[in-house]
Amino acid sequence: MATTATISISSDIAPGFGGISESMTLTQAGTLTDIDSTTGFQIRKLSATGAVDLVTMANELVEPKDSVAAKIFIRNIGYKGVIDKSVGVTIGVNAEPIGKLYGGDWLMMPLTCIDADDITVNPATDDTVVVEYVMFYEEA
Amino acid sequence: MATTTAAVTLTSDLLSDNMSVSASTTCMKAGTTADGLDQMEYGYVDLATGDEYDLIAATPTATKASKLYLKNHSTDETYYIRVMLHAQEIGRLYGGDWMFIPADFHDADADIMITAIGGTNKICYALFHEGITKDASA
Repeated sequence: MATTATISISSDIAPGFGGISESMTLTQAGTLTDIDSTTGFQIRKLSATGAVDLVTMANELVEPKDSVAAKIFIRNIGYKGVIDKSVGVTIGVNAEPIGKLYGGDWLMMPLTCIDADDITVNPATDDTVVVEYVMFYEEA
Repeated sequence: MATTTAAVTLTSDLLSDNMSVSASTTCMKAGTTADGLDQMEYGYVDLATGDEYDLIAATPTATKASKLYLKNHSTDETYYIRVMLHAQEIGRLYGGDWMFIPADFHDADADIMITAIGGTNKICYALFHEGITKDASA
């Protein structure tokens, strides 16, 4: 079965835009071989502002290979069933803010997995919020 | 209200039991619950190996809610693009890979830059946003 991800985007912003529907199989860099490692599916509860590591690359028990085809999925799932669209969590790489996930928002992005490029999360408020995530990568 | 919806389904057999995750979100303007993103750019570019390309020509307003979709449509799995934001490499998209992020254009230098490696990469992108800082006419 491998690891697959399918995205569907619909929008009525631009007349005639037919939407986007694409799938990918997560493979090792430059090959058709399936990606072979994962952090597993995890959640992280945050209750204060301030950036903290979601993934610390140097601490992974199975060391990720650098600069290949790793991917991460992250979603802001709110807290206890309440999803607040008005409050977000900023996702960063190596202290660079990538973007803010508001309640219910998700991202899927590639990663370098080098030790400096930890994945950080920084809530906009002290209200409790939970993010779920899973990283797929190649073993070094 | 304009409505943009992004859904994902993720499956994997790397764990002892198959994992399947589905998620869908309606893309709203920053900090609101009643007003959706209302502007977009949609494009396609061929990028020869070694070329760098500033993907977003006009800068979306800082701190607003922008969503960026990017796919490498190259059919050769050895081709890839390096994706950078504000000089920070995010990662690599190999042929067939896509990404979807809430891009943070927090200052004028926070552009999305892509660099093609291996051959001519075929890149499709869509940016959904709520306003841009328009360039002055030359």
